[in-house]
Amino acid sequence: MLRVDRRCFHNFDWVLFFLLIAVSIMALLNLYSASYPPLSSGMPAYIKQCYLFLLGMMGILFVLSFDYKELHFWNYPFYILIIILLVLVLFAGNTAGGAQRWINLGFVKLQPSELAKLMLVVSLASYYSRKEVEGGYGLMDMVTPVLLTLLPFLLIIKQPDLGTALMLLIIFVSMTVFARLRLQAYLVGMGLGLGASVFAWFYLLKPYQKQRIETLLNPGKDPMGQGYQILQSKIAVGSGGNFGKGYLEGTQGHLHFLPERHTDFAFSVWGEEWGFFGSLFFLGIYFSMLLWGLYAAMTARDRFGVFLAFGVVMLIFWQAVINLLMILGFLPVVGIPLPLVSYGGSSLLTTLLALGILMNVRMRRFQTGLGHGQGEQGV
Amino acid sequence: MKWAGYKNLEEINEHDDAALDSLKRRVTLAGVVILCFVFLIFARLWFLQIHKGEEYKSRADNNRVRRSDIMAPRGSILDRAGRELVTNRPSFNVVLVREDSNDVDNLLTKLSGVLNVDISLLWEKIRDAGTRPRHIPIRLLEDVDWATLAYVENHNQELPGIRIETTPSRVYHYGDLAAHAIGYLGEISREELESRDPTIYQGGDLIGKMGLERLREKDLRGEKGSSYTEVNAKGFEQQLLKDVEPLPGNDIQLTLDAELQKVAEDIMSTEEKAGAVVAMEVKTGRMLVLASNPVLPLEQFVGGISHTNWNALLENSKHPLINKVVQAMYPPGSTYKIITAMAGLATGVIDKDTVLYCPGHYSFGNRRYHCWKRGGHGAVNLKRALSESCDVFFYQVGLRVGVDNMAEYAQKFGLGHKSGIELEHEKSGITPTKEWKMEKQGRKWQEGETLSTAIGQGFNLVTPLQICLMTATVANGGKQYLPQVIEKITDPDGKVVNQFEPVVVDELKGEKMHLAEIRDGLVEVVQGKRGTARQVRIEGLTIGGKTGTAQVVRLAQYKHLKEDDIPYKYRDHAWFTCYAPAEDPEIAVTVLVEHGLHGGSGAGPIARAVMEKYFSDRLPLVEEKDGK
Repeated sequence: MLRVDRRCFHNFDWVLFFLLIAVSIMALLNLYSASYPPLSSGMPAYIKQCYLFLLGMMGILFVLSFDYKELHFWNYPFYILIIILLVLVLFAGNTAGGAQRWINLGFVKLQPSELAKLMLVVSLASYYSRKEVEGGYGLMDMVTPVLLTLLPFLLIIKQPDLGTALMLLIIFVSMTVFARLRLQAYLVGMGLGLGASVFAWFYLLKPYQKQRIETLLNPGKDPMGQGYQILQSKIAVGSGGNFGKGYLEGTQGHLHFLPERHTDFAFSVWGEEWGFFGSLFFLGIYFSMLLWGLYAAMTARDRFGVFLAFGVVMLIFWQAVINLLMILGFLPVVGIPLPLVSYGGSSLLTTLLALGILMNVRMRRFQTGLGHGQGEQGV
Repeated sequence: MKWAGYKNLEEINEHDDAALDSLKRRVTLAGVVILCFVFLIFARLWFLQIHKGEEYKSRADNNRVRRSDIMAPRGSILDRAGRELVTNRPSFNVVLVREDSNDVDNLLTKLSGVLNVDISLLWEKIRDAGTRPRHIPIRLLEDVDWATLAYVENHNQELPGIRIETTPSRVYHYGDLAAHAIGYLGEISREELESRDPTIYQGGDLIGKMGLERLREKDLRGEKGSSYTEVNAKGFEQQLLKDVEPLPGNDIQLTLDAELQKVAEDIMSTEEKAGAVVAMEVKTGRMLVLASNPVLPLEQFVGGISHTNWNALLENSKHPLINKVVQAMYPPGSTYKIITAMAGLATGVIDKDTVLYCPGHYSFGNRRYHCWKRGGHGAVNLKRALSESCDVFFYQVGLRVGVDNMAEYAQKFGLGHKSGIELEHEKSGITPTKEWKMEKQGRKWQEGETLSTAIGQGFNLVTPLQICLMTATVANGGKQYLPQVIEKITDPDGKVVNQFEPVVVDELKGEKMHLAEIRDGLVEVVQGKRGTARQVRIEGLTIGGKTGTAQVVRLAQYKHLKEDDIPYKYRDHAWFTCYAPAEDPEIAVTVLVEHGLHGGSGAGPIARAVMEKYFSDRLPLVEEKDGK
């Protein structure tokens, strides 16, 4: 095992830790309400989520035990492992709702596509931090990152899981724009992207997926079909009013008007039961956590740290924004969870590991590298 | 530690601080983006919860819209003449809405008492529903009778949460007619549910489980409609808002002829025979009759088959669950002599005038191979050999041709491979070759086995459909058609969505003359003085055919018994296959009767009945007065 620098304890990121604990407690309370009264005889969702939360905490401890710089080495083995899992899930995966997403490991159903998001963050961070180009990246520099993104993207779209695949693209775009391209690379990239979306619309999207997008653009067309879910979610949040209907008192959720209320629509339950101020309070803490993550990026000791912290924040931020905009009726139903809040083991574990990386970057902000005196001796 | 071209970790660390600082400055920009989105979300929350809060609150309290499905009527199944075989009728189910009942325990006790059903059965249904939302009805009893319906309707005040639901259910106008081909419906299983589009299928839906109901599920099922009801804050239904009508499924018109099929099935059932009757149009490949006996009791499957009934079907020694037309394989017996004859003529080892001598047996190696006629046929040519089914003649032809050549021609007549008919679990049969035996059994081919093969015994296995295909190919001059069950599919407006045209799969070229020579022999089987199927003759119609007897076992202990004394399961299978009119063939009919002993007497009369029906309006009046 590694010897950990004493300064690491000293510099442990207590702020992020407490923000995370606060968000998690509220999320578990909300999950209890969303799965109340219990319907199935199996283990209730909130208990399962508790166990997974504890497991994730151990994951964070593990991530903290080594210098994040080691990720340069573990990046590619990790990448290959995830790709193998993604291929495996296509052949041996469990199907749910017509899509193959899980590998059943007995105690937990692993959804490799969730881990793939984190994997992409690490891979891109490693690439961009190692390769530094004056005046922005050119077209040729982009070949590797594009391939790194496209491989898992295609495997996930094959499942098909449109939401997660889209997240990979968003992570890629965020990190690439952050790394900064040359103008000509931007233009070519946008052109290709536009062409690909036109192609996707005509050849790749399933009719029900198109319908969801069409519903959003023109809600009057189908007020009670696909729009029904969004309408019910809006009614739930809206009827919360100033202070909400009270914990466990939400009628929209408990009378089953709300679809998927413990997964994608979990925040609707919060909005209904705690109202505007409750939502402000919750989201205030939630987004403080993300802004603090950006602060970690700004204080990182090196380029890799900056990219890692930035990527992790983007990973959580975009999922949260897309999920919230969907719940509030701004986006179509795409199946993206609210990290830490929506029920789902793989998503929770991935998010906690990501936050572990963030803490790691922040914790080691003063160490100037491995060659100096009391640093680690390698693996 | 080395990876990705780095000598060690320190090297990665050296970057200039200015670049790092500019990178960090861009992080601030990302912070601004986040804050913008946070602002947008807060504004939206304010709009929904404060600005429109009261409006949504009243919608949540009074104006809740709940959607439920309306089942689509499934498409009908018609015969070739448009006769309705399968349609729909409304059926009434007793359902429970858990949300509307505060004391399910008490309710079920009451219900099981008055309706006289086992309470554990009701609980099982509720357990099966598992995590389904509480407002979705659970079907407790399906397709109830009028008395139950009336009771529940009259006592609905005392049975809170219990309702009557109306769904379309199957009616079989011709009873079990063509049951194996048509198939049946059942409630969708969990596995089926998981592998299907959740926007189309929900728990409790009916789905095709067998036959065309399963294979053509997509065409038949239609699209569900929806019913929108207003419910109050406690979940009770207030009023119906609107209905979106379901879209009925497409109708399927079969190539089968219900009248003809009925003749075949009736005769098989009244005589309690197990086996198959197959008839097809020789010039199109369209199937007219696909009968497998015993039939499948379709009515038992409506609303779910009971365990007792299902076990009875499973344990029935005549295997009603198997569609014997395509799923059962039998030795072809003497019907295979058509193949041996064709291989002989085509390879030139015999011609139509070749005469071979039959003393009643043929010695080969150190064994004696018998002809069915112990006394022998004497000198026979091809025509006589076919009409009297002389084994010794075909032993010798088989030896000259060789087993591999026979297999090649068998393939060309549709044996040894799946025909591609739209029925489930079709068997491919076996046409043995030397290579096949080496592969399957790891042993060399024995020449003696060629003799058995030549008369359709040995390793040969065929389905009744394949023998019918072979007959049709001989009759139409060498064309092998794809056997078709569906003629067309029409949508609810009557527009044809899919029309099935005849497809030629394979063609035997340049053998027209040889085929004609074989047909001469086949006509002699029925019309000749000493033919083996003289009983099949119909006044005013010329028929060509071939009898066959497929040995089940060759047991010495039964050899000397009278036929009626041999135990049923050891009796030979009877084949008869034929086509008519011989001058310009239209239809081929094949009959297999399991343990029916002789082709001519066991299977022939059934084929005769089918043809009489088919040609009934063309046969001379004498015939009608005479017999039927």
